[in-house]
Amino acid sequence: RRRRRGPAAEGSSPRDGGSMRCQVSVLYFARSAELAGLRCETLSVPREITSLQLWEEIVKVHPRLALIRDQVIFAVRQEYVLLGDQLLVLQPGDEVAIIPPISGG
Amino acid sequence: MEESEDVPKDFIKLKSEKLSVDEVSELVISPYCGAVSLFIGTTRNNFEGKKVIHLEYEAYTSMAETEIKKICRDIRQKWPSVKHIAVHHRLGAVPITEASVIIAVSSPHRAESLEAVMYCINTLKASVPIWKKEIYEDESSWKENKECFWANSEK
Repeated sequence: RRRRRGPAAEGSSPRDGGSMRCQVSVLYFARSAELAGLRCETLSVPREITSLQLWEEIVKVHPRLALIRDQVIFAVRQEYVLLGDQLLVLQPGDEVAIIPPISGG
Repeated sequence: MEESEDVPKDFIKLKSEKLSVDEVSELVISPYCGAVSLFIGTTRNNFEGKKVIHLEYEAYTSMAETEIKKICRDIRQKWPSVKHIAVHHRLGAVPITEASVIIAVSSPHRAESLEAVMYCINTLKASVPIWKKEIYEDESSWKENKECFWANSEK
């Protein structure tokens, strides 16, 4: 029953064509939560996407986030990812966090 | 009553209540260790001439705990004689002069625990997803650690 359709296709529906999307949990912290006006939400995004493209998807929903574009990185499944060309393969329910510059300690 | 081997343990806690130096240092005490080294991060009352009323901390809690666990693993690789490690970080509102973070490390001899404590706070500031906001009289400001590699160095 396994369909070999490419790296992101595990457990997917038969539909494909390179535009498969999935629901991810987006978490906002610190300044990004203030700019977005919320702390978490579910967004539908392409399953295969670069980190920069993912940022652009999120900014479409919350344009004020563009203000901090040069200062943030992501945490995808709790691993830091710079905004750039890195290809992400997302699974339904993955956590994607916007990480402004940290100041713990 | 026989003593256990005192298996090395990591004690990691993010909490909104006031931190206790006694509690954190007691966590790492071991009959095999002659040294307990401690770091306490406290909150200052001023920044660039502005009076800080209080601070607020927030965290990506699950990832922060995971990152602190990674730091503990690194510590044990670099200083294998380290016995116990405790990291307590406060979240929410923290009044001035109260502790925001306490780190305690025990080891048989003092050099390792002293070095491990310094490594721990330096790495925490570079990698653990916790944010501090300073509340002044008229405004507030999210701080950025200079250790954070993705922060803008110029404002």
